[in-house]
Amino acid sequence: MVADEPTFARLMQAAQNGDKAATNVLLSEAGLWLERYFRRRMPPHAIDDLVQDVIISLYTKRATWDPSRPFLPWLAAIARYRWVDHLRKIYKHESKELMEDDAAQDSDEDVVMARISLDRLFGQLPERQAEVIEMVKISGLSIKEAADKTGQSESLVKVNIHRGLKKLATMVEKAE
Amino acid sequence: MDKYKAREDLIAALTEDVSPVKPVRPHEGAAMIVFASVAASIACLVIFGFWQGMINGEASPYFWISNGLLALAGAASTSALVSSVLPRVGAHGSAPLWSVAMLAVLPFAAIIAFLSYEAGHNHGIGMSDPGLMYGECALYGFMASLVVAGAAIAFVRRGAPVSLNRSGWLIGLASGSLGALAYNITCPIDSLMHVGIWHVLPVFIAALFWRYAAPPLIRW
Repeated sequence: MVADEPTFARLMQAAQNGDKAATNVLLSEAGLWLERYFRRRMPPHAIDDLVQDVIISLYTKRATWDPSRPFLPWLAAIARYRWVDHLRKIYKHESKELMEDDAAQDSDEDVVMARISLDRLFGQLPERQAEVIEMVKISGLSIKEAADKTGQSESLVKVNIHRGLKKLATMVEKAE
Repeated sequence: MDKYKAREDLIAALTEDVSPVKPVRPHEGAAMIVFASVAASIACLVIFGFWQGMINGEASPYFWISNGLLALAGAASTSALVSSVLPRVGAHGSAPLWSVAMLAVLPFAAIIAFLSYEAGHNHGIGMSDPGLMYGECALYGFMASLVVAGAAIAFVRRGAPVSLNRSGWLIGLASGSLGALAYNITCPIDSLMHVGIWHVLPVFIAALFWRYAAPPLIRW
């Protein structure tokens, strides 16, 4: 059974206060609620990816829930936003594939120099983050292909890329 | 079964370093926008100087009407904008739209007054009004609005707006109204033709500009 409004609100308040266990339960329960939400809106194979995207949004934007307001309309608004965004991306991706031209080529020397610097930086990242950044941002694999290769879920690949790039940016800033 | 395992992994990764968060408060956004508007006003006063007409009674009723409407349009759109950063479902208020419609009465009044002059009714308003020559006021008002827009975008990025186009319009309306107001209080030209056109134009330019420029900046 999916949690009710008062339970969600209580868990969310605890999550805003940094309670790890409550956040875990909140995200799991929200996942179940979102599955039902998307069941009538998406083909079955696409539901889980979207649920995971909304879970990430719920977590990263948890500061935007006002405790004096109900939780579920807030979650529904985020779910709807992600759903529309998902449809927009599909549309853009399909248009891009039709219109795409060849990408510009870098000179060999630049590529070798960039590779050396990146290898040094990658050595300081956790392996799970470095491997997905390498696959998606350098080799040009899609998120799905990287997920299949590494055994991570697509959303986890996104989280690891996001965190890895953030660390890389910090390292580069400090180096300069 | 696999997909649930993947979700569990995701949740475990997300909550690995969970920390307390300070809830985003709309009134903080309003304070940022007011602060930016005051900063823009001070900058305009420093650059263009203080117009004494505002306090010695020289300013015409058009000066007060136009600036009063700009302040109200700015307040209505700021209030709607800062509320829009908290996700919610349901109908949106239409106060900003009505306040801008009221503002649009000014250019209409200027055009109608001009047409009636051309038809032979002399209200002291016409193409000979020297105020019409000073179109740069619209540019200055728009430049001042960029300061307000910067603060508005910085706040919206902290939140989670779920209707990016609407937020874009609101950023434009709020920054355009308050930016124009910041400049207009320094302008000594207060005829209907001047304030009804050049002092109000930045609102519509900013609204149109930010409707298209803001969504990529506030997408999350």
